[in-house]
Amino acid sequence: MRLLLLSIFSVCLCSTIVRAESIEGEVVTILSANSAGGMMTRYARMIAPYIKKYSGAADVRVRVMTGGGGIRGTNFLWFSEPDGKTIAFTSVPSLILAQLSGSEAVQFDATRLVYLGRAATEPRVLTVGATSSILNIDDARTLDRPFIFPSQGTDEDFYSMAVLANVLDIEVKVISGYDGHSDTALAVIKGDGDGHITGWSASEAVIEAGDERPILTLSQERYSPYPNIPTALEVVEDDSRQAVQAIVNMLDMRRGFFGPPNLDPIATEELRVAISAAFNDPELIEQSKLAGLPLLPSDGNIEQQKIGQITEASQVIVPILEAALHAIL
Amino acid sequence: MLEAIISGLTALATPQAMLFMIIGVSYGLMVGILPGLGGIVAIALLLPFTYGHERAATLALLLGAHIATIWGGSVTSILFKVPGAAKSLALVFDGHPMTQQGHASRALGASATAALLGGLMGAIFLAFSIPIVRPVMLALGPSEYLMMALWGLTIIATFSEGSLLKGMIATSAGIMIAYVGMDPVSGTPRFWFGSIYLLDGISFPVAMIGLFAVAEMIKLFVKGNTMINRVAGEEKSSVFDGVKDAFRHWWLVVRSSLLGLWVGVLPGVGASVGGIAAYAQAAQTSKTPERFGNGAVEGVIAPDATLGANEGGGLMPTLAFGIPGGESMAILLVAFLSMGIVPGPQMLTTELDLVFSMVWIIVIANIITTLIGLAISSRLARLPTLNPNIMIPLVLSVCLFGAFATRGLVEDVLVASFFGGLGYVMDKYQYSRANFVIGMVLAEMIERNLHISLGLYGDYFVLTRPITLAMLIFIIITTALPFLRQQRQALYKRFFFNKKNKQVKE
Repeated sequence: MRLLLLSIFSVCLCSTIVRAESIEGEVVTILSANSAGGMMTRYARMIAPYIKKYSGAADVRVRVMTGGGGIRGTNFLWFSEPDGKTIAFTSVPSLILAQLSGSEAVQFDATRLVYLGRAATEPRVLTVGATSSILNIDDARTLDRPFIFPSQGTDEDFYSMAVLANVLDIEVKVISGYDGHSDTALAVIKGDGDGHITGWSASEAVIEAGDERPILTLSQERYSPYPNIPTALEVVEDDSRQAVQAIVNMLDMRRGFFGPPNLDPIATEELRVAISAAFNDPELIEQSKLAGLPLLPSDGNIEQQKIGQITEASQVIVPILEAALHAIL
Repeated sequence: MLEAIISGLTALATPQAMLFMIIGVSYGLMVGILPGLGGIVAIALLLPFTYGHERAATLALLLGAHIATIWGGSVTSILFKVPGAAKSLALVFDGHPMTQQGHASRALGASATAALLGGLMGAIFLAFSIPIVRPVMLALGPSEYLMMALWGLTIIATFSEGSLLKGMIATSAGIMIAYVGMDPVSGTPRFWFGSIYLLDGISFPVAMIGLFAVAEMIKLFVKGNTMINRVAGEEKSSVFDGVKDAFRHWWLVVRSSLLGLWVGVLPGVGASVGGIAAYAQAAQTSKTPERFGNGAVEGVIAPDATLGANEGGGLMPTLAFGIPGGESMAILLVAFLSMGIVPGPQMLTTELDLVFSMVWIIVIANIITTLIGLAISSRLARLPTLNPNIMIPLVLSVCLFGAFATRGLVEDVLVASFFGGLGYVMDKYQYSRANFVIGMVLAEMIERNLHISLGLYGDYFVLTRPITLAMLIFIIITTALPFLRQQRQALYKRFFFNKKNKQVKE
């Protein structure tokens, strides 16, 4: 009898272990940490059926958990079981910066999350007004007055500018409080501000219309439609490269999937493979084009390496971020 | 240009475009009537269905739906004191008192006609003002936006009848609620008590649903009577009285429409501020400002004309600069880009026929909305006479669902309920709920633009920016006007009374 009970217990234990290791046949929940109708949730809903297709999961559901600019959903994920059944999708740079800037609401450590793959990203660009006397980044460095930077608040563009200004020795005056990129763009076009940072897609129409001029991109490589615009990595000195590389890596991670810390290795592998396969599915690629949600995928392993570099550089970045925040308070 | 006007219209003369327009308008009316949802949700939900169709048909669907939501939002404000969206708030102030007095049909007729006239003016403006809108947009900045918000704030005096102190307390409470969440300037959390829900701030539509709709239902439950004291069918006026009202107050319609156009043109101002500012100018320039808040039809006409015209204005920065004038325009911009429409000054040259297609869409969608509106107004007007046993659960469930739908958070339902209780208590003890929401709407705009103005233009920006100074003088004059008028009337009465007394003595 004792042997029988022991056998039953062993079988149960083994099945539990096996179940915890694989997501096959399980229901996977993707926490979309942004608004229900927003871009992030639209991405998550578009990709979820394809993760189901390649992971063997019984179902992949999207659960919207809005709040605190992605913090609420990520806090929830932080305390989830690391069995692969709960993962999240949001703007990764926002999470990292919220943590590095010491936000009181953050309960997670973004560097310990397990990154599963990036769905999309786009280079950020520093643009100036078309009538501005600043023609390139050197002009911004040699201005005889502060470079006026209209900002919508303490977002990734604000912190990116803080790091750029620090390493390029640009005296910056941040005017914070603008109501979104439209508002900062208008300030730059009017001449109220010297320049602002946005994604290329947000600035493309304004640049095409001739109202703004790009002078620097924050990306690993030059942006192909504008091959004459240098990247931030090209214009910094070697000793400052680490900080800028960390910011570029962070911005590069943009719309990504990630799991809780200590995510089961088998579940991690299965999810990374499934997410990667989903991004190569011709049907999803076609659907993303139709929906206006472009994909620029990257593998989970590569994203995890970027986090390592960000962690290494955090000692250099954190004092800059704190000083930038202190300056506008 | 004539050629572009005609080809813009002929692009819409296809069965698909007309069908899409009707679908868009009908759908927009339904979305608009649901509290908490509005034009942004309407367009966002339609976006996946817009690929692979004619360009004009797609625009007819999107713009048609967006325009119809405006009047949909006004209907619930007037009938049930439930603003369909934040921008319909000003309709509550006089629209609902009109319903209570048996003039619901008239209010709905005035509202639909004012929105139509405003929409038509917006369309005409859109067609002819692209060349002048750029310099105007570039001339105005945060300090002028600040003045516009201050102008909206002056209206609190109108709603503080009886006790200015109570009015000020209500406004201050609204401002304090607006400060819950992250500070828009530095992102510092305020009044969040460690709750991530509060970190995002109190959602304005949710608070509004509670303060007005839920509070009214509590009141109705306590009173145990129908929402309005009359028998169904005993309307004291008709829809066409409202139509006539809108034409009778043509100058108010023109003024409000122009205000709406510029509010739409300026990114960062917002239609909800525009509605309140329109109401403020209507009350302050009226010869009988005391009627406002008690069922003055001008209080319905002004905000609706502003909202109608706002859409034409909102398209302007989107088309001229590629800068969306609001959230719904941002979604529209995504649709434009996916259709291969690249905004910019070239819209006036190479894409002029497309601009005129949009003008025609605004015109036609407004006409269809108004025709449907006028046709159903008399039936809608009977809804508030429903038995409270049907009305209370019906309105409450729609409102609480609307509160949940705004962000998909259960906490919002609880907040709407809390504000319902607060609204009931405020109403009972005569603390103006209108002042409370005005404080809530304008607080962030004032804070944001004051901070930017000080940073950009220095401490004496009011004196160094001529347009700002002119606007400040205008605000002082329009605020003082009703008081001066009142004083003049008092002086006249005293003089008349003294004269009469003298005559009696003699």
